[in-house]
Amino acid sequence: MENQIFYYDNKIVKNFAYATLFWGVIGMVVGLLLALQFIWPALSFGIPYTTFGRIRPIHTNAVIFAFVGNGMFTGIYYSLQRLCKARMFSDLLSKINFWGWQLIIVFAALTFACGITTGKEYAELEWPIDILVAVIWIVFGWNMIGTIIKRRTQHIYVAIWFYIATFVTIAVLHVTNSLAIPVGLFKSYPIYAGVQDALVQWWYGHNAVAFFLTTPFLGLMYYFLPKAANRPVYSYRLSIVHFWALIFLYIWAGPHHLLYSALPGWAQSLGVVFSVMLIAPSWGGMVNGLLTLRGAWDRVREDPVLKFMVVAVTAYGMSTFEGPMMSTKTVNAISHFTDWTVGHAHIGALGWNGFLTFAVLYYLIPRIFQTQLYSRKVANLHFWIGTLGIIFYAVPLYWGAITQASMWKEFTADGFLKYPNFLETVTQLKPMYAARAIGGSLYIVGIILGVYNLVLTIKAGKFLPEEGASAPALAKAAGKRGSGEGIHRWLERRPVQFSIVALLAILIGGIIEIVPLYLIKTNIPTIASVKPYTPLELQGRDIYVREGCYTCHSQQVRPFRSETERYGEYAKAGEYVYDHPFQWGSKRNGPDLSREGVVNGPQYRPNSWHYNHMMDPQRLNQQSIMPAYSWLISDDLNITNTAKKIRVMQFLGVPYPPAYDSKANDDLMVQATGIANDLKSQGIQVEPGKEIIAMIAYLQRLGKDVHSANLPTASVIRK
Amino acid sequence: MLRDIFKSLGNFENYGLISMVIFVIFFILLIIHTMSLKTGDVDEYSRMPLDDGAKEKDEIHDI
Repeated sequence: MENQIFYYDNKIVKNFAYATLFWGVIGMVVGLLLALQFIWPALSFGIPYTTFGRIRPIHTNAVIFAFVGNGMFTGIYYSLQRLCKARMFSDLLSKINFWGWQLIIVFAALTFACGITTGKEYAELEWPIDILVAVIWIVFGWNMIGTIIKRRTQHIYVAIWFYIATFVTIAVLHVTNSLAIPVGLFKSYPIYAGVQDALVQWWYGHNAVAFFLTTPFLGLMYYFLPKAANRPVYSYRLSIVHFWALIFLYIWAGPHHLLYSALPGWAQSLGVVFSVMLIAPSWGGMVNGLLTLRGAWDRVREDPVLKFMVVAVTAYGMSTFEGPMMSTKTVNAISHFTDWTVGHAHIGALGWNGFLTFAVLYYLIPRIFQTQLYSRKVANLHFWIGTLGIIFYAVPLYWGAITQASMWKEFTADGFLKYPNFLETVTQLKPMYAARAIGGSLYIVGIILGVYNLVLTIKAGKFLPEEGASAPALAKAAGKRGSGEGIHRWLERRPVQFSIVALLAILIGGIIEIVPLYLIKTNIPTIASVKPYTPLELQGRDIYVREGCYTCHSQQVRPFRSETERYGEYAKAGEYVYDHPFQWGSKRNGPDLSREGVVNGPQYRPNSWHYNHMMDPQRLNQQSIMPAYSWLISDDLNITNTAKKIRVMQFLGVPYPPAYDSKANDDLMVQATGIANDLKSQGIQVEPGKEIIAMIAYLQRLGKDVHSANLPTASVIRK
Repeated sequence: MLRDIFKSLGNFENYGLISMVIFVIFFILLIIHTMSLKTGDVDEYSRMPLDDGAKEKDEIHDI
């Protein structure tokens, strides 16, 4: 067959590489600001745009989708062309992918700072941006599949399988989890509520980790590790088993984020079982990566690219052991809601994704700029500072997590909580938070060194926008299976059919876990006393979502004595049926709020306390790390959209009376005036039309419905 | 008896068990497939990243 000459598009690789470096610095500096707010809450600066609840999504989204996302595209655009021995299918699609993705990131940062959020972790983008994400993702997939189709190699290499799985699964997850009914351009309510919303969200959330942070990077590992080590993959057979077992099993693991919650037990058990089984393929992949270095370990001492890769793959192994361990109910009872989860996530993000991203950048930037890395010494310094940064980041958080979980659960000899004031368990952690900030700072210093090194490499080199290559054209193979050709061998050369089979593999788990929650009523027993939120409470709830309160407060009491004593009745599935979206949270920087409104309950506070607390938390508790929300007191509540909100809720099945939308604001004002009058009686002058009134109304509603019902108590259930 | 089996399969509590059985069957077939691959082919595939078709430096056309 005649040799064809063609050119790899390095421009798109360069653009994504630059974006990776830029957003990496931004995302991690915002992370450092968040870490410092744990020590000095005044670093919220008293303005809404920089409070923890608003910038935490900026940090997580910037690191996941901007830094890691651009890093993923950098590696995929570089490796896909070379593995297919073909230029990208369309330069235009490449450009749309690049600029569209950057536009999404900018929109995300702006909207989150303004409090425009869906209130669902890692899926906070509102519906217009969600649509844009879907469009850009399809552009990426179209370009990728098109490139694979026009390849000049018969076999589709295993790295590309991981890229295909990434594309199809993220598309399914994003679309399914983002289904919502708009109230306006910047506000929507998800079609799911309560337990169903929680399951869909964590099915998405966990698999965003799996298919955005893991599978594409495994693909990159399978390309760049052999390339950097100049050795073939240790076991191609193992990589095949790794791929299929991983994508089949991963999709089931989402419910491990909801252990001891109101999610039905059978779904929790499925999550646990499949999470534990995940160790096998995950470690198979890790072993395959590390053994690829057999005979090349001497070079690891010298080559910064291999150093970064070895620590990245090791961090992957640590995370994928730790994850299943945290998914067992015994460990989860301690780790959940604590900084253990944060430490775990950062071993993965900083170690696996961060280090592999820099390994890829250190590998390809000198090559596309036709030069050598500017300084190996600086790269080595980056490596060691970064590694120390990860350790200094994670170890204090593990220590703090076990400390805090122990304090939450400790009882006196007389049977009372030893630390009934939640704040005591937070102040205990401040030294650990300081150590975490030092670790994060070290990691950022490493990144800045990396950027410096790469910028000087770029300056010293000459960019090669079109890299020449040659390969024989691929002989057109028959669409049907040849005689003696197995199904998988056939699939391995058919990208579209391969994508469909990968899609089926990931759909099985999702369908089996999610569909019964909708079809089988007994999964979510209804509670007659649970009523829809009043219009004022609904508005207050939207402010709660806007301010990202869920980033620090849970609304989910687990069935432990230590929790029912501290907060009140444990969570029931039926009490969340009108929660669009659910607000269970995943981390307790502050106490659980789901029983906040239960008069005479352990968490109850009068309206005046909430007012003063929002105004200045440190005035009530000097050690409090909560930021002030003084603008809730000065800002008017927007009630022009109340009727629309009620109509959307009715559409979603919330049983407001017919035509209630037309008189919702009347009811709203009656309730608001009542709260304002109560505050007045406590010497606090505030108009009923202020946001703080709605927020207080919502907080005072939490838990009331369940406590007015005649339900079996936690102690009865435990018998 | 057959009716009872189908009735039991329709019970969502068994979904996990059914899924694990599906996975085990899938896994065994996967192992059989990978073991049946010819060593020569597998070696060729595992070397794919090492041959990216890039031309030698003096052959590169910087356009």
